[in-house]
Amino acid sequence: MKLLVIEDDATTGRYIAKGLREEGHVVDLVADGREGLIAATAGGHDVLILDRMLPQVDGLTLLKTLRGAGSKVPVLLLTAMGDVDDRIEGLRAGADDYLAKPFVFGELSARVAALSRRPQAMEAETVLRSGDLEMNLITRTVTRAGQVLDLLPREFALLEHLLRRKGRVQTRTMLLEAVWDIGFDPGTNVVETHISRLRAKVDRPFDKEIIQTVRGAGYRIAA
Amino acid sequence: MTARLAKFWRSMPLRLALLLVALFTAVSLLSLAASYGFTQRSFEQAMRADLRQDLAGFRAAPNARAVAALVEAESREADPNRMVLSYIAPSGRIFGNGAIARDEAGFHIISLDRDRAQYDGAYLSLTDRLHGGIITIARSRAEIEALGGVFLNILLISLLPTALIALSGGLVLARRSKRHVEMVGRALDRMTGGDLGARVVVGPRWSDDLAQIGGKLNQMATAQEASVTALKQVSSDIAHDLKTPLQRVALQLEDLEGKVPPDSEEAELVARTRAEVADMGHVFQALLQLAQVEAGSARSRFAPVDLAQVCQTLVEVYEPSAGDSGHRLTLEIAADVPKVRGDRALLGQMVSNLIENALRHTPVGSQITIRLSQHAAGRVWLQVADTGPGIPVKERDKVLDRLYRLDRSRNTPGNGLGLSLVAAVAALHGAELILGDNEPGLKVDLRF
Repeated sequence: MKLLVIEDDATTGRYIAKGLREEGHVVDLVADGREGLIAATAGGHDVLILDRMLPQVDGLTLLKTLRGAGSKVPVLLLTAMGDVDDRIEGLRAGADDYLAKPFVFGELSARVAALSRRPQAMEAETVLRSGDLEMNLITRTVTRAGQVLDLLPREFALLEHLLRRKGRVQTRTMLLEAVWDIGFDPGTNVVETHISRLRAKVDRPFDKEIIQTVRGAGYRIAA
Repeated sequence: MTARLAKFWRSMPLRLALLLVALFTAVSLLSLAASYGFTQRSFEQAMRADLRQDLAGFRAAPNARAVAALVEAESREADPNRMVLSYIAPSGRIFGNGAIARDEAGFHIISLDRDRAQYDGAYLSLTDRLHGGIITIARSRAEIEALGGVFLNILLISLLPTALIALSGGLVLARRSKRHVEMVGRALDRMTGGDLGARVVVGPRWSDDLAQIGGKLNQMATAQEASVTALKQVSSDIAHDLKTPLQRVALQLEDLEGKVPPDSEEAELVARTRAEVADMGHVFQALLQLAQVEAGSARSRFAPVDLAQVCQTLVEVYEPSAGDSGHRLTLEIAADVPKVRGDRALLGQMVSNLIENALRHTPVGSQITIRLSQHAAGRVWLQVADTGPGIPVKERDKVLDRLYRLDRSRNTPGNGLGLSLVAAVAALHGAELILGDNEPGLKVDLRF
């Protein structure tokens, strides 16, 4: 993918660009809002990573200008503030997702990946599969190697979310937002315990692990 | 209706109008009474002059017989209700249409008509000796008394319109000022509701005092808005200046982690440092959020929130963690708990912090119970109770302070901001927060 990173802090910008390049993306890095706007309007980027506080032209102004010009490029807004007010303001200005500083790279990477596929409409599948795992969305049953798994409704929702995003890392915060509609960090290892309960049913009785842990980032079901 | 009337009665312009009406009435009464007395006196004097003139006319008669003839003639013409004439001749015979009698009560005019004994009403009379007899001329005071009625009419005619005009003017003013006061009130409500951009729009017809109050209120709101903006600016400056280096450190540590051999001592050190940095980030985040919750801007996006549903979700989220750490987490929701006006995310975080707090500070086997009911009709009551060690009475207020931690909790995870946020969110929603004794354990009550 071709990504545009607009971040005024040189060190942060460099690490973001480096990390994304290591994942195989092409990255353009600019350090101020004016240049960022010029680069963004030139087009051709799959995702924009935009810092909110920028010299020259502020991140929100840049975003509004871009949206005003009809650009539909997915935008991930980075912010040092990161409270609810700020989040609402950012989303209202046209951001697709929002990440509060300080973040870990894994979180950024997972969110960029999620954004890049967002425009594709979700397929109206009735059966989701990964290896010998099968989830029937109509009968709401899950089988693995022909064996029926007894899942609680929320475990079903969690597994469905991961299955629909096969091959893509889902971070703890992304799962909290998507499965429980929780936009804040509940602190303790709540997501870990939910995953481990799900694993106890989905993976433990079988040889191969379907739900993978991605170190420092989150969870993923192999494509 | 009576309440509205009572409220109206307390309105200043109406009271002023009524006071004016009373004052005007009193002054009119006084001046009319004075002119009535004056007019009455001059009427009386004129009447006495008439009587003297009448008498002078009889004096012109040469003798008693002539006087008697004159009196007879004139009294035939005169209406005894207006004028009574009487002449007691030297012979003792009474001529005229009446006679003067005297008893203990005073003088009376006795009618000489067969049908009536005495004339009613008051008379002014003049008596004199004439040619050996006694002549009495009396004129009725009825005309003077009629003056009273005339003056009363004048009073009513002049007073009624004045009173009506003053009263209706007062009513109009009262209603207008009530409307203006309400406008000021609405602006105040919006300001306390968190909308610091609200202003009182002072109209050209506003009374000076109200316009002044409105102006001062606007000044205050502008000052407050400026200080909130300044606070936001400071917060965002701190956020930027502290979080930017923290962000660098976080990314550099992540980079470093990839460069040290996994499962080495160095890797463990890096992992520990990363966790510390993440905690610092959480503290900054929590402090910033606390400042913003306290600034109250969230009020402007308050909407009905189903707390029952929020609690259900959170209990579901925490249930596996609670199970793993050997806690029992139960939720009791009464029927028909109404919605609460508020911010769903903040209320969720508040409940989450309370559950988190209970999980952290209670030993294995503790029971954590969340109860949702009503403490009064339509008033939501949320309680989070545990069976842990509780909080000593004298420390209960302190634990709501920022970064305060009980001595025994120094080594448990947490940053001492969780309960501060609970207190700030409760205050933002106008909910009463009470930390109590669950005998044993901590009982946190929130009454909305």
